[in-house]
Amino acid sequence: MKRLGFLREILLILLGAAALATLPAFVHDSYLRHLLIMVYVYGAVAASWDLSLGYGGIFNFGHLALFGVGLYTYGMLTKLAGLDPWLAFLAGGVAAMLAAAVIAVPILRLKGIYIVLVSFAFSQLVLQLIISESDYTGGNSGLVRVPMLKIPGHNMVRDNKLGFYYIALVLLLLATIFLRGFVRSALGKSVVALRDNEEYAVSRGISLARQRLVTLAASALFTGLAGAFYGGYFRNASTDVFGMGLTTLALSMVLLGGRATIYGALIASFVLTFLSEAIADFGAWRPITIGALIIAVMLVYPGGLAGALVSAGRRLTAPLRRAPAAHPVETKVTP
Amino acid sequence: MTTLVEILVSALFQGSLYAMMAVGLALIWTTLGVFNFCHGVFMTLGAYVAWQFVGADAWGLPLAVSLPLALIAVAAIGFALQASVVRPFVGRDDIVLVAVITTLAASSILENGTLLVWGPRPKGLPPLVPGTLVAGGIGISDHQIAIIVATPLILGALWLFLNRLRLGLALRAVAQNEDACHLVGINVTALYGLAFGLAAALAALAGIFFGGFKFMSPSMGTEPLSKALVVVIFGGVANITGPILAAYIIGLFEAISTYFIGFYWTPTLLFVVLIAVLMVRPEGLFAQRTRGLA
Repeated sequence: MKRLGFLREILLILLGAAALATLPAFVHDSYLRHLLIMVYVYGAVAASWDLSLGYGGIFNFGHLALFGVGLYTYGMLTKLAGLDPWLAFLAGGVAAMLAAAVIAVPILRLKGIYIVLVSFAFSQLVLQLIISESDYTGGNSGLVRVPMLKIPGHNMVRDNKLGFYYIALVLLLLATIFLRGFVRSALGKSVVALRDNEEYAVSRGISLARQRLVTLAASALFTGLAGAFYGGYFRNASTDVFGMGLTTLALSMVLLGGRATIYGALIASFVLTFLSEAIADFGAWRPITIGALIIAVMLVYPGGLAGALVSAGRRLTAPLRRAPAAHPVETKVTP
Repeated sequence: MTTLVEILVSALFQGSLYAMMAVGLALIWTTLGVFNFCHGVFMTLGAYVAWQFVGADAWGLPLAVSLPLALIAVAAIGFALQASVVRPFVGRDDIVLVAVITTLAASSILENGTLLVWGPRPKGLPPLVPGTLVAGGIGISDHQIAIIVATPLILGALWLFLNRLRLGLALRAVAQNEDACHLVGINVTALYGLAFGLAAALAALAGIFFGGFKFMSPSMGTEPLSKALVVVIFGGVANITGPILAAYIIGLFEAISTYFIGFYWTPTLLFVVLIAVLMVRPEGLFAQRTRGLA
């Protein structure tokens, strides 16, 4: 993968998306399509989180608050201001980027656990603001009957979710290209350099504060858009998205998939969304099962699913190599 | 005058609960270098286990017996949790990150376990001391007074333990230099368990306090946990005096701000102050030495 040119990688991504685009021809069931839509939405959110957490080493615990900002921006602009849904959708992404800049300011100089604490406090603040401004946000009961996203000349209601399927797929496709492009660019390399050796990177003239700001804003763009899509799809906005449940789910996608891969988060989104749906009837046993699974994977495969695949591959090819490979260079993530 | 007393009582009461929670977080952070997101669930478990012992439709034991039993039970849960989801990762570079996700996963397991065992119906615990004190036109429940008086005593005892007793000193030694502790023969692994058990018991006590004046639910620990987080950001997590001071300051701040500015705007104001503090002192207001801050 490493020597692959970016254009070729984009081509492969497009091929993958084209394959997914043919899926509705075989999947007519609107519930299955709904699950795939959720896979794409969570995939975009988790892969964006992988950018700040995996590549940047910035543990932004308020990542799902950015999703919530996109969701509520969409909800309030369409429902209260009567804005065109597509404009509100774009505004959701912009609002999330602005919110990310607000998170970035207090943590520019912080390290380690303090970033977790402050970004967590930020997400609580957004939640409190939404609850207290109930005239605009609906408070605890949320916004209902939010206008949905529409494709001109297409009936979004009686198409077994075909329209939403393609919107979500395009969203994920653009997110993947954007994120992969970011991490492959010189900018992305400098972000990784800051993560791996901050003193050296800074001494080579990379600005820690600016790069953090850019990383967080970039990780917010598609997270906010996904939040806005969520609002335009479910037609409501509620404070549930600020709960620990969704944060845990998205975080486990990032960690299960394997950090700093982007693709790992997408695979994990697929696995976890379907798994969590498969055991949906188990009630309280569902979060218990998922929690146990997360702990088990972290204990056995610290590198996540992607790490598991890599180590399996290494074991398979090991007999082919004459000398034992030098100790693999592991980049360390100190959030 | 009445206003002043009301604000002070509210400040001391909330401050006590915050301090009880935040101290446990700081204790675990200093000894193991991880942040425990299970802390809110320890609080929930404390309240529910106590209810199991004391509840009229459960076993119906007296509160004086149930309270210590509940604390011991939750401390044991804390110990077991530490052994299963935290200790395997000690020594890894990314333990902070991994421990966040494993303790989060564990808290989800325990919270839903609570829901399965005790059901979603809200429950209540009897107050520590029944009755109400009425003086000068305002009434304060004896339960609140008991908490306001008991918390400084308990935290004082904890401070003495950490600063005067050999075991407590050993705990602090682990926090400061783990390798040297191995060299002089301190059982580091056992101390990890002790820190977690102690923290869990403190959170459980906060839960029992909480259950005495508000309805309990399986998710009751979430909000106190986030408050405790704010407290440790303010006070720093490097020792226990910082968070204790910060807890009472935040309690006072909230009481004043709620009275004069309003309940809804208080969290926002708190956050603004928090950012200001972090700009000036990233390691917290009272921290001298910090762990994990390079």
